[in-house]
Parts: sequence; structure tokens; C-alpha cells
Amino acid sequence: MSESILAANPATREGRPWYRNRKLDQYICFWSVPFFYNLFGLVFVPLSWMMPPRSPTSDIADVIAFMQSPNLLIACTILTLAIGLSAVGNACYMVQMRRMSVSPVFLFAFMAGAIVGAVVGALFPMFCFGLGAFRSGYDPEILQMMYDFGYLSFIGSLGCFVLNWGMLGLAILLDKNNILPKWLGYYVIWQLMTEFFVATVWIAHDGPFAWDGLLAFWFNMVIYVPWQIIVYVCIFRAIRNQPENELRNARFKPGATYA
Amino acid sequence: MNAYLRNPLTYVWALLTVVTVISWWISQGADGGFQTNRMVTLGVLMIAALKVHLVMRYFMEVRRAPTWLKRTTFGWLMLLFCLLCGFGLAYA
Amino acid sequence: MAITTADAEPLPDTNGNTTAPGLVPGEASMWFFILGDLLIFGVYFVCYMVYRGEHAGLFLQSQRHLDQGIGMSNTVVLLTSSLFVALGTEAARAGKAARATRLVGIAFACGAVFPILKLVEWLPKLGAGITPGENLFFMFYYLMTGLHLVHVLLGLVILGFVLRSLRSASTPNMKFIETGGIYWHMVDLLWLLLFALFYLIR
Repeated sequence: MSESILAANPATREGRPWYRNRKLDQYICFWSVPFFYNLFGLVFVPLSWMMPPRSPTSDIADVIAFMQSPNLLIACTILTLAIGLSAVGNACYMVQMRRMSVSPVFLFAFMAGAIVGAVVGALFPMFCFGLGAFRSGYDPEILQMMYDFGYLSFIGSLGCFVLNWGMLGLAILLDKNNILPKWLGYYVIWQLMTEFFVATVWIAHDGPFAWDGLLAFWFNMVIYVPWQIIVYVCIFRAIRNQPENELRNARFKPGATYA
Repeated sequence: MNAYLRNPLTYVWALLTVVTVISWWISQGADGGFQTNRMVTLGVLMIAALKVHLVMRYFMEVRRAPTWLKRTTFGWLMLLFCLLCGFGLAYA
Repeated sequence: MAITTADAEPLPDTNGNTTAPGLVPGEASMWFFILGDLLIFGVYFVCYMVYRGEHAGLFLQSQRHLDQGIGMSNTVVLLTSSLFVALGTEAARAGKAARATRLVGIAFACGAVFPILKLVEWLPKLGAGITPGENLFFMFYYLMTGLHLVHVLLGLVILGFVLRSLRSASTPNMKFIETGGIYWHMVDLLWLLLFALFYLIR
């Protein structure tokens, strides 16, 4: 099916079954997102009770009991298998960012930031917590250390996303093709401001700035969760509104052979 | 130069600067300050709210903006002022 | 634009004058940002007050270490800067680009004093070992004034672009100048509250 026929006769687009949709790849990426986030939520909340974060000042007995709970191993297994989906979800942003009239630097910086955030924010803590359950008999001090490491990298990694989201926000604001709405760019930036406050988890052991604190964690979640949903809704609309002649898949060339 | 002096914006600025000095003077208090003092807190917060209102109305030109924006900004200021006064004056 | 020179309009709309009824000053999306920013800062202000109520003695003792004089100077610096931005916006709207450039230039110079005073205030404190880890008051103080300082620096960049737009374009882009202006006034407004909450209340 060639580009010129599509342009000349839009009716052919209507008659195509869903599996021949030329944006099928993007829609699959998009629908992997709710799946991934729900799985992520299930693993971190009801399966392992890693979230909401436990207190940095927990009793050592509580720390040991948590670190040795066998569910942590199941959580580790599921998460290592599923973490690749975060890359698929991020592909949605990147395909749309590539259409913007901004330097590709934004796209690459976004990609690198997303990778750093996913590894430090999801895999590190899970591995730290999983270790305690993997072999019983670790010293309590070691378990305590892994506990601190796990939470600091989980909550502390929100700072990694400052660069990531900053690139997205700037790209939206500077883009002249209006791929995503301008207000979304501003929304990204004020969401990002709350993530600065996460830096405090390295200093405060209790109170509002600790890793389970009101300002370092809870307020950020209240801002972040609706924001993330709204961003994906806007991404969905961008995919839907993308003209088919802007899809950048390489064209099929009949008769191509290996040189 | 005269045109600037006659400009309402300049009057607003002069008022803002004067009340800033007044709020500082209130805060210094009779005996050098640094005692908990609800009257000082209340006075300082009222002056701050007035200043914010003036900046929004005149500098940000909210006074010429549509009603919804006037209501939203004023509502935000009033809510913030009430909460700050409530928590600022209610400590043990 | 359908307005011709024959029209008796004192302010022709050709330079994008947005003071027409029903329209917000500047870009509507900037107001979205400002309202969100005010909301977020509002939550931080209220949280500060709540924790202040719980640790009244600690906060009061810590407030002694703040430099009232620098706080005052910074307030006046930002208010003056805001005034010149507002005057500059009016001048640009009246089509006096050269005067507007001069006024916004003064505003920029005033605004640039703010970060310098902030460093003068912070560095001796940090040198004396008063860091964010000192206590809850200083954590709030450094974080919130730091977040505000980021706003100031961004505002200076925006004012720089406003200056460039005033200087290069034959007819100034009023929408952009107003948008930069209201952002700068918001930065001023947030500082007025920070000044009251950290330096003045007792």
C-alpha cells in the first residue's frame, strides 16, 4: 500500500482492519503503559509492602522481618521480567518528541535520563530488599544497610527524573509544531519542582523531609500520579492526531536484495 | 520623568515599599523581637497579604483580567491567608 | 487585522494588545503555570506554618540567624524591579520600544542584584556550619528560598529574551512581553511571602 494511494483516497484508511493500522506499533507501546504501571503498583504495594515507604527510624526487628519476607523474591522475579516495559512505555514519548521542531539533544537526554531513573528507581531497591530473603542469616547490620540503600535509591531516584522531565517540558515549550499542548509543558515543569524536594531524603532522618515524609514523598505522589495520567492522555491524543505521512518507518522497497 | 511620577504603578510601588518597612518595624518589636508574639505574626501576615494583592492587581494586571482570574487569584490569597493565620496563631 | 489607520482607536490592536475584556494578560498557558506554582508554594507555606507551630521555640531561635537587612534589601530590589517591568510593559504597549528597552534593562539590573545578595547571605551561613541539616527550620529555609532562587534565575533568562525581543523586532511582540512580565511579578510575589514567613513573623 503506497503513500500516494493513501493521500489520494482517504477512504482506504477507514476500511482497514485494526491490525493493519499503520500506528499499531505506537498503540501497542501506549497500551503497555497501564499494564506496566498496574503491575508495578501490585508488586510494590500489596505483594511486597515496600510502598508506602517504611520509616527510616524503624526498629531493627521490624527491618529484619520485612527484609526476610519471602514475597520479596517473587516481587524481584516479576520486576526483572517486566522492567523492560518501562522502555516500551517511554518509546511513546520519544516517537512524539522526534516530531517536534527541537534539537535531537532533547530526545537523547530524555532517553538517557529515563534509563538511569528506571534502573536506580526500580531495580536497585528491589534487589536490595530481595537479598535479605534470598539467604537467611545475614547480619542485622547488613540488612539494615540494604534497607537504607533500597529506600534511598527508590525515593532518592526521583531526582534522576528532574533531567528527564525537564527535557520533555522544555521540548514541549520550544516546539513549534504543537505536537503536545503548551500548558502541558508548564505542567511538566511544576511537577518537576516538587521532585527537587526529594534531595532532602539524604539529610533528614525523620519529619517531613525524610523518605517517608509529608513533603519528600506524599505531596510528590499527590502531584505526580494525576500528572502522569494526564501526560499519557495527551500522548494518546498526539498519536491519534499524527498524520500517517509523518510516520517515519522506512519505506518497503520491492525487489531489494543484499548487496 | 514626571510621567513616571504620576503613574499609578509608581504610587503602588511606593505603598509597597512603605508597608515593607512598616512590617519590618513591627517585627523588630519593642524589646528587639525574638519572642513569640501573635500580634506581630498577625500584623506581618496582613501586610504580606495586602502586598501580594497589590502585586497581583496592579503589576500582574489582574484588575483588568476576566472575572474568573480575579476570583481564582483572590480566592487563593484568602485561603492561604486564613490557613497561615490559623496555623501561625494556634500554636501552644 | 481589519483595523486601518483611519480608525480612531487610540491603541490599535496590531501590536497584540491583550487588555481587551475577556482575555487574560499574557499567554493563557503561562497563567496555568502561575496558578499551579502558587498552589504548590501555597502548600509548602502552609506546611511550614504547621511545623512552625509544633516547634515554635526552635524556629524562633533559628530565625535569629537570618539577616534582616539582606532580606529587606532583597524585597525592595524585587519590588523595584517589578515596577520597572510593569512600566516597561506599558511603554511597549504605547509603542515606545526604546523607552521600554531602557526600563526593562533597569529591571534586569535590579533583578540581577537578588542572586548576588542571596550568595552574600548564604555563603557566610554555610561557612559557619549552618547547613540544611542543621534543623527543620533551615531545611525549609534553604529549600524554599533555593527553589525561589531557581525561579529568579529563570526569570532573568526570560527578561533577557524580552529585552532581545524589544530590541530586534520593529513591532514588539506584546503577548510575549506581558507573559515574561507576569512571570517576573509572580517571582516577586512569592518572595514577599517568603520574606514575611522566614524573616518577620514571631
